[in-house]
Amino acid sequence: MTELNPNPLNLVLMGGSSGSFVIFEQIVKLATRPLSCAVIFVIHRGKSSLANLPHLFKAKTKVRMEEPEHLDPVVNDCIYFAVPDYHLLVGPDARFYLDDTDKDFFSRPSIDATFISAAQSGIKIRAAMLFSGASKDGASGLKLIAEKGFATYVQNPDFAEVPRMPAEAISQYGGHQILNEKNIFEEISSVLYSYST
Amino acid sequence: MVLLEYKELELLITRVREISGFDFSGYARPSLLRRASRYLTKHTMNLPELYIHIEQGGKAVYDFIQEMTVNYSEMFRDPDFFISVRSEILTYLESYPAIRLWIAGCASGEEAFSMAILLKEAGLFDRSLIYATDLSERVLSSAREGVFSLGHMRTFSENYMLAEGKNSLSDYYHVAYSKAVMDHNLRKNIVFSLHDLTGDGVFNEFQMVSCRNVMIYFNLEQRRKVFKLLYESLGMFGFLCLGKRETLRYSGFEENFRIINGHLNIYQKIK
Ligand SMILES: C[S@@+](CC[C@H](N)C(=O)[O-])C[C@H]1O[C@@H](n2cnc3c(N)ncnc32)[C@H](O)[C@@H]1O
Repeated sequence: MTELNPNPLNLVLMGGSSGSFVIFEQIVKLATRPLSCAVIFVIHRGKSSLANLPHLFKAKTKVRMEEPEHLDPVVNDCIYFAVPDYHLLVGPDARFYLDDTDKDFFSRPSIDATFISAAQSGIKIRAAMLFSGASKDGASGLKLIAEKGFATYVQNPDFAEVPRMPAEAISQYGGHQILNEKNIFEEISSVLYSYST
Repeated sequence: MVLLEYKELELLITRVREISGFDFSGYARPSLLRRASRYLTKHTMNLPELYIHIEQGGKAVYDFIQEMTVNYSEMFRDPDFFISVRSEILTYLESYPAIRLWIAGCASGEEAFSMAILLKEAGLFDRSLIYATDLSERVLSSAREGVFSLGHMRTFSENYMLAEGKNSLSDYYHVAYSKAVMDHNLRKNIVFSLHDLTGDGVFNEFQMVSCRNVMIYFNLEQRRKVFKLLYESLGMFGFLCLGKRETLRYSGFEENFRIINGHLNIYQKIK
């Protein structure tokens, strides 16, 4: 009989651009207990952004936060932030790969790059979410994840600070679940702490 | 958007090797997959069309390989790196009667010319020899010409200033036919030559090896092998310089170096 790993790696992916930072901050605060997933945040930031997000958010959670280095293993119960000026890819060997290929939608890191690599890695994706932003980045990655049968969520553009990014995702694929203002954080919390099989 | 699958990528790698002799097997798969998919999208091709294209061999397959390996570079890229080289490495190397440096993965020579200028301003150029290598004959021949577009030169000049250069970058080139031509004098102590980090071996002993923004292309196993090559190419107390996000982590040589600058990834061989 094969022993089932009680806690196999699974990913929760979050993408956003302008207007998403405050949401990300709230999401980090939701992580009050150990997580049975790896959470990966990709937010557009300038090439020379020095802000170290794990450092900035340190007071908000006790869960481990990292800006992954090239080839670091992806593990559950850790919150990751893509570093500036590189795409952050997830490999089938459950390691991170930094990539310096051209920008997507003028962005590096690009959300599509991370989402598409995760979708192709064969690693289970518990959920992928896209929030406020002024670019079209992320929409096609999110669509691919949905088409692979994983749960996808989009912030309701009506209450996004900048609606373009979530609106584009919805226009490319009608089946995403919509996160509304009144219960967005309850929903995300239940995703983070669902013990899906 | 055309997306390739990993299985398809492996077959493609094999076919490229058969056609061209170039072997991508040591390269990081997630990046290759991304680049191959982008190649197809950019050239509005599907996979069968790509095969037909590269089967022609010659320039077609060569161009494909070229697009799969990133050749982007800048003079004085990451200016604080050059500040640190000046203050932490060159001051140390001053005591050497002859200085040999290796720029591995030198693209079109941007980094080699930057190093030459740095050495010149430190008064060390005349006793230095810079070996600058790459696997792409095309970028090397452009490096040998030492010609850059004026548009790029503007960025390079900014970098040079941020790197606290002593003069103006324009003191090191002249303009001809709307291009910047690097001074011949700088070329004098630079040897550009073909070297494949995944296949070729140690060819000299160096006081400094700079292999920046190249390691990131290799997979874990290949990366270890390349680290071994760089380690063996360094004399004792020689310096190893890596790119901005490239550390010694998972190299197998963590114990053999001490950290000179942890942020800029400058190391010194100590055993
Ligand atoms: C992004 S450029 C880096 C240039 C420069 N070092 C810098 O940091 O700006 C990477 C270079 O590595 C070269 N390269 C890739 N694989 C290589 C290999 N196996 N052996 C030698 N050079 C390689 C590519 O041709 C390319 O010119």
